[in-house]
Amino acid sequence: MTFALITFQTLLVLAAAPAVIGMIRKMKARFQNRQGASIFLPYWSLLSLFKKEMTVTRHSSWVFRVVPFVVFGSALFLAIAIPSFAAGILSASLSNIFLVGAVAALGSVFLVFGGMDTASTFGNMGSSREMTIASMIEPALYVSLASLAAFASFWSLDGIVLYFASVPMYTTLPAALSLIALVFVLLAENARYPVDNPATHLELTMVHEAMVLEYSGPYLALLEYASWIKLTAMLALVANLVFPWGILVAPFAGFAFVVALAAFVIKLALGAFVIAYIESTIVKMRFYRMQEYTSLALIIALGGLAVVLFTFAI
Amino acid sequence: MTESLFMLSFVFPGIAAFVALISRKGDIGNIASQSLFALGGLCGILGAALFYASGEAGIAVLDVPLFGLVVGRLSVFFFAIISVGVLLTSLYAIEGLRPYKNAYSLHWLAVASAFFIVGMQGVVLASSVVGFLIAWELMSVAAYFLVIADRSDDSLQAGLFYFVMTHIGFASLVAGFLVLSGGNAFANWQQVALTASALSPAVLAAAFALLFVGFGSKAGLVPLHQWLPMAHPQAPSHASALLSGVMLKVAIFGFIQSLFLFPAIPASWGAVVLVVGLSSAFFGVLHAVVESDIKRVLAWSSIENMGLIFSGIGAAMILRTLPFEAGPALASAIAIFIALHIVNHFLFKSGLFMAAGAIVSSVHSRDMDVMGGLAQKWPLFSGIFLALALSAAALPPFGTFFGEWMYLQSVALALVGLPLPYSVGAGLVLAIIAGVSGLAIFAFVKMFSSVFLGRARDESAEHVRPLPSLVLLSPGITAFALALSGVLAFPFFSARFILNESVFQHVAIVEGASINSWIVWGLVAGLFGLAFLFSRAIGARIRITDTWDCGQPLTPRMQYTATGFSAPIRFFFRSFLVSRKEMLVVPISPENPWIARRSLDWIVTSAWERFLYRPITSGILYLAGYARKLQSGVIQLYLLLVVLTLVAAFIFAL
Repeated sequence: MTFALITFQTLLVLAAAPAVIGMIRKMKARFQNRQGASIFLPYWSLLSLFKKEMTVTRHSSWVFRVVPFVVFGSALFLAIAIPSFAAGILSASLSNIFLVGAVAALGSVFLVFGGMDTASTFGNMGSSREMTIASMIEPALYVSLASLAAFASFWSLDGIVLYFASVPMYTTLPAALSLIALVFVLLAENARYPVDNPATHLELTMVHEAMVLEYSGPYLALLEYASWIKLTAMLALVANLVFPWGILVAPFAGFAFVVALAAFVIKLALGAFVIAYIESTIVKMRFYRMQEYTSLALIIALGGLAVVLFTFAI
Repeated sequence: MTESLFMLSFVFPGIAAFVALISRKGDIGNIASQSLFALGGLCGILGAALFYASGEAGIAVLDVPLFGLVVGRLSVFFFAIISVGVLLTSLYAIEGLRPYKNAYSLHWLAVASAFFIVGMQGVVLASSVVGFLIAWELMSVAAYFLVIADRSDDSLQAGLFYFVMTHIGFASLVAGFLVLSGGNAFANWQQVALTASALSPAVLAAAFALLFVGFGSKAGLVPLHQWLPMAHPQAPSHASALLSGVMLKVAIFGFIQSLFLFPAIPASWGAVVLVVGLSSAFFGVLHAVVESDIKRVLAWSSIENMGLIFSGIGAAMILRTLPFEAGPALASAIAIFIALHIVNHFLFKSGLFMAAGAIVSSVHSRDMDVMGGLAQKWPLFSGIFLALALSAAALPPFGTFFGEWMYLQSVALALVGLPLPYSVGAGLVLAIIAGVSGLAIFAFVKMFSSVFLGRARDESAEHVRPLPSLVLLSPGITAFALALSGVLAFPFFSARFILNESVFQHVAIVEGASINSWIVWGLVAGLFGLAFLFSRAIGARIRITDTWDCGQPLTPRMQYTATGFSAPIRFFFRSFLVSRKEMLVVPISPENPWIARRSLDWIVTSAWERFLYRPITSGILYLAGYARKLQSGVIQLYLLLVVLTLVAAFIFAL
């Protein structure tokens, strides 16, 4: 039963990921008074990319060809280990907060290798920037996850979500700062505003798009899909912590299943709206001010930790 | 049997040195002496294995008056690390030293290595203070000759720096041990512990401070770390592997062993060790990120990892004294991290130093800014290096990750297990470790990508020959061992020290805070299988093209170098990295000032060097100016000084 649920949850995230990106793009277009493309366009983009011929630069090595698979594998792991649809089904060893953080870092590292193995300045620049962001955001990531875990007294994401879903919502208020820090981390890890501009190919601003610039065809499809899966899974995690309603918990009854499915869709739509709203109202930060962003994230995370620890003491 | 194996591991290095001296120059001598070293290492490994299999608590290997060698459970762990290190580096050196026949005098190098190895073994097994100190000094002085092996100016300067620093450390070790043993240098460890139990807390604290300075200076802890990234990279690569991978562990052994001499350890000592360890980790990794000399990056990373291990020791020292339920359990979890990280750091650092040696001897430069594109030329070697680099960055699925997981998870558990002031401290420690591990990832990603990926940035890296397979052997073994360390050593250590259960089970520090390396490896294998099937299923047509160049041909010089790659970090942490940059612009054309010849002179030093080392050096030189006035050449003054010294000595002695 749990195995079936884990598989279902993973497939759900895989299936929803292109739609989430489609929604964000659609909402952003509406904010800019444009009609925007259908939210199902990303599915077609993926399919057409899979059918295309690939070009691989002669200056690359075997690493270039391994990268898409490792990055996709890392995203797949996030889809498995992050409770997005149901909670209380994953073993504590599988969704341990530090393991999830490290696997996400592994994905970033291979993306960086991909950008470095092109002999192109674009890819190199994106790699250098991505590595900087990924390594500087690490303290905020671990501190915010650890304070959420300490608050819930569960050391797996699954347990944290289960705890948040099982207590009255006002009691989770002390964790609010940690959640804000987690949103900072989410924006940085997924190359969104104000860290990166996902809609550009301009060398001054790009990070993620620069690294994948040299990829084409199925490899590009894997890399793009991986980044969408990562965003969807992390969005679902934050949404489940901020609005801990409707998530499927034991007993896994028929009606609750339908409710959980509806809640999953609504939460992701809400998350997509928030991201589209952020990207339409603020400007991207200059890259050489990124340490302000990461320091702010860390300070908020430490503040969140302090609040959690003082809540214990009272 | 076990005793004689241990004795043989002492004897073989001596024979190796003798053989090397007889055969002088020539390949045969090097092959023979390195094989003998390897044989000695093998004997040590067998001896350690037999000792653990026998389950005894301790065996006296050698027992002559005033001097003895005793194996105990702790020392055999380190002895085994030394033996494995000797075995691997000697196998590497058979082929690795061949290109340097004229750069080093190989027979004297073998003699220095022999003293060095015997010194390290002696430190670990010595049963008395004097034996320990003699072996320690043997190890330190032999290491000096390894550092200056190529007799270049840089090496001599680095060697001198090392020599001074190691003797500052040695002096404080001698002082610390003599204070503890009540002035009796010939006391064995039990007698020292007995004498120490009668000492007053203030004297004990002084002894602890002296010992911490002594061992810390050898392990490269701040502020006594500056010599390490200068000295370790100057040695031949197999010796660098021994210096960074093994000798630093001997310093840790010394420190841990001396902790057992104290009757009680207050939490404040632990706090000092923790803070010093964390700041070493931070400064070490920061310099590893911005440095572009491949062997120096490794040396700085050694400082980082020693810092992490010492911070773990400090945390465990604090946790053991705390009167809360969670304290001792977390202390033993951190002890597992310390043991695992000692093994893992030894493996990846020796592997990386040997691999770096292979690269340097092909590219003829240690500067990563001229390398690149080596993955295309050496696919297998680059795979080995990638595994080692991922281990060094503590990324899954290699052993280092699981060790660091133990540390992070224990510190995170201290958030809920300990009351308020301690839990806030644990939060800060967690943030610093997370920051350090983030930067460590940066350092090793930079290293792998600038050495192996893209195109060669310089002619020298363009035309490299295939590597001899013997050079690949030792780094390959370490990479394989690191994979095993994750899947076997981690569950084994954890099962042995926290709960006696099967190695296949989840490793849980407490209920809910668990990990299972078998699941992680299962996932890795599963994903590999999926990826393989998937890539078969796509069957996409691949066209080999040039890199997209916007219509203007790309040159290798347009790529990011290692220096360029780390520019953002250098900028963000510029207040910790004191850099001096001078740009010299000489105009060539009188009409157009933009046409000019530019040259850049630029060095990154550290805040420690600027604000600690330089003032002390200039202070000493200033005082030396006064001391020189005594050297006036007047014989009467000298006689007066001699008399005054004698009188003072008599007054002091009576």
